[in-house]
Amino acid sequence: MNIIEIKELKKDYPLGNTIVPALRGVDLAVAEGDFISIIGPSGSGKTTLLNVIGCIDFATSGSVKVGGREITALDDRQITAIRLNKIGFIFQTFNLIPVLNVIENIEFPLLLMKKSAAEARKRAEKLVEEVGLKEFTAHRPAELSGGQRQRVAIARALVTNPDIVLADEPTANLDSVTGASILELMRRMNELEKTTFIFSTHDANVLKYARRIVKIKDGGIEREPVAA
Amino acid sequence: MKLILTIAWRNILRHKGKSLVIGVILFTGAFLMTVGNGVISGMAAGIEKNIINGFMGDIVLISDAQKSDNILLNMMGSSIEPITTYKKIKEILDAQPYVRRFLPVGKNLAMLLDENSATPGYAYLLGVDFEQYRKMFPDNFKVIEGGYPAPGRRALLVPTFARDEFYNFYNIWFLPEGGTVIKANLKKEALADIKSLVVSTSVIMMGMTSGINTSTDIRFPVRGIIKYGALNQIFGHFCLVDIESYRECLGYFTAADMAAQVPKEEKKLLELDGSSLDAMFGGTDMMVSDSSKAPRTIRTDKTAAKTAEDGVYNAVFIKLNYGVAYKDALARLNRALSDGKTKTRAVPWNKASGPMGGMALIIKSALFLFVMLLFCVAVIIIVNTLTMSALERASELGMMRAIGAHKTFIAGMFLGETAILSAVFGGGGIIAGIAAVRFIPLLRITTANDMLQLLYGGSFFNPLLSLSDIGLTALQLAVVTIIAALYPMRVAVQITPLDAISRD
Repeated sequence: MNIIEIKELKKDYPLGNTIVPALRGVDLAVAEGDFISIIGPSGSGKTTLLNVIGCIDFATSGSVKVGGREITALDDRQITAIRLNKIGFIFQTFNLIPVLNVIENIEFPLLLMKKSAAEARKRAEKLVEEVGLKEFTAHRPAELSGGQRQRVAIARALVTNPDIVLADEPTANLDSVTGASILELMRRMNELEKTTFIFSTHDANVLKYARRIVKIKDGGIEREPVAA
Repeated sequence: MKLILTIAWRNILRHKGKSLVIGVILFTGAFLMTVGNGVISGMAAGIEKNIINGFMGDIVLISDAQKSDNILLNMMGSSIEPITTYKKIKEILDAQPYVRRFLPVGKNLAMLLDENSATPGYAYLLGVDFEQYRKMFPDNFKVIEGGYPAPGRRALLVPTFARDEFYNFYNIWFLPEGGTVIKANLKKEALADIKSLVVSTSVIMMGMTSGINTSTDIRFPVRGIIKYGALNQIFGHFCLVDIESYRECLGYFTAADMAAQVPKEEKKLLELDGSSLDAMFGGTDMMVSDSSKAPRTIRTDKTAAKTAEDGVYNAVFIKLNYGVAYKDALARLNRALSDGKTKTRAVPWNKASGPMGGMALIIKSALFLFVMLLFCVAVIIIVNTLTMSALERASELGMMRAIGAHKTFIAGMFLGETAILSAVFGGGGIIAGIAAVRFIPLLRITTANDMLQLLYGGSFFNPLLSLSDIGLTALQLAVVTIIAALYPMRVAVQITPLDAISRD
C-alpha cells in the first residue's frame, strides 16, 4: 500500500517578475515502511519535494496524497494536525528547542498532542534509550554534540509514531563517521518501528543505506536506480 | 499550559538582557501608574473634602433667571439672581431621601468703601446662618483672630487672604473688634512699615447687583479673621456674613422687612428681572431713596426677624448622601424643583464653581492623560522589543510549527512570556508604588499654592490608594500586557516552517 502518492506535482517560486519552476510535474509513489533516499545536486528540487510532502510548502498544481488524504486543499489547522500526527521531521541543522532538555525536546510533540505528561515521558524515555542518549536526558541542546543533537531529532521525529519521517540532508553537518551512525540509526528505527523514511542527500556515500533511490534533476525525477 | 509557561519562563531567563529591558519598563510603568492613580485618588478625595464637603456641597441650587451656572467665581460685577422661593425649596429638599444636608446662602459682590480712597475695592460676600454653616461645613476654616460669632449674632468674618488684599488696596489692616495687631499674622510689607500701620475694626461695604445698587452703605464690624483649611487663595475671597446683614447690604428684603410693610418701590425692584435696567429707570415710582447718608451700622442685636428663611437667598448648597448616584440625584432634584414651581434649578458643584471646578477637572484629566501616555510609551517599547525577539526566534518558532505546534500555542507562548514579565516586574512596580504612596504623606510636602493644593488634594501632598485603585492599576497593567503582546504575537504566529528553513 502506498503511503504517499504524488501526481503531476508542480511548484513555482516567484522571483521578482519571473517565475522559477522548482518542481516540473513530479510523479512519485512511496510504499508504507520504505526507506528512500532522494538524491540530486543542489537546486534540483529535493528540499522542495520534501517540503511539499511534509506539508511545509504548498504545491502550485498537481496532487499530493499522504496516507490516502489529499493535502493540497487543506487549511492551516488541518495541515498542522497532519504535521503533528502523521509526519516526523529531521532537519539539517538539528532544530531543537534550545530551552528544553533532551527528554523534554523528545516529548514535546506528544504534549502538543495533549498526551498526559506521564505517558509522554514514558514514550520519550523509551526512545531516548533507543537512540543511545539515556545518560544525556537532562542536557540541553547546547550541551550536546552535532551527532547527539541529530539523535535527539530522530527520537523526536519518531515519538508520535508517525506514518512518515522526512529528513532533509540529515548528515550534511556531521562528519562521515557520525553521519553513518545516524543513517544506521534511521535504518534501524525504520526496521524497528516500521516507519517510512524519506531522506534527501547529495552525498553518494550514504546511498548504500537506502532501499530505494529517487534521483531528481532540474525539478523532475530522472530515474530510479535500484538500491542495495 | 504548563508547557507554554515552562518554555516562556525559560525563554525569559535565556534572553536576560531583553527581559530586563522589558521588565524595567514594566516596573517603571506600573510604579508610575500606581503613584499616578494614587495622586488622582488623593486629588478626588481632596476635592471632595475641600470643595464639596468644605465649601459648596455636591449640588448647588440657583435661580432659573440665572444665565450662567457659575455663581461662585463669576466675573466681577455680574450679579447672582435672587431666589425668593426658599420655603418651597426647603420643603422639597426635606422630602428628598438622597439629600443629606443643605444650606441656603446669599452670594454676591460688595464694594468696599473708604473715605480716603477714590477707587473702591471689592469682595465676595457669603451670607449665611452661622449655626447652619458650621453644621454644613464643620471645621473648614479656623478663626485665627477674634472669635466665632455667637448664635444669631450679626457678624462679618474676614479671611486672611481678603485682609491681605484689602491692605494692598487701602493700606488698612483690619482687626476684629477688641483685637490687637499680631505681628506673626502681618503681611511682610505691613510688618516693615508697622509704625505707620493704619488699623480698623470695621469695613464699609455696599452690595452690588447688576440691576440694583443698594443705596445703603453698611459698616460691618469685623468679628473674626479666618483662614480656610485649604484653597485659601480661592475661598479667601469670600467674607462670611450673617444672612440678614447680607440682605441689608444687597438691598434685599430681610426677614424683618418681610414682617413689616414693604415699600412700594422696593417691592417693584424685587419683582424686576436683574437685567431690566430700562424698566427700572422707566418710571418715576421706582426710584430708590437718597443715598447721600452716612453709612448705616448693622444692628448687632439678635436677628429681629421671625425667621431668616422668609428672606431672599442666591443659592442653596446641597450635600448628597454617600453612595448616591450623582447624575440620577441631580435629575430627580431638577424634576422636583420644576414640579414645585420653585423657579430654580440644580447644577453640579463643578459647574457652579466655575474655573475652580474646571481647573480640578483639567488637572485630573492631565494626570489621567499622563498615565495614559505612560501606557502608550510602555506599549510601544515592549511591542518593539518583543517583535524583534519574535523575528530573531523565527527559526525556533518555525520549527515548532513544523513539528505540529498550532498558531494558538505560539501565541500562548508569547503571551505567557509577556504575562510572566508583567506579573514579576509589573507586580513589583505596583508594590513599590503602593509603598511610595504610603511613604509620600509622611514627608508632609506642603504648599500654599491653590493649584497645587488641588493637585495635592489638600494643603499637603497626600496621594491615596484604595483596593479598587490597586485593582485598577493591575487591570491597566493587564491591558498593557495584552496590547503589548498582540502585535508580536501576530508576527510570531505568521512565521511559517518554511521561513525557518529558509533562514537556515
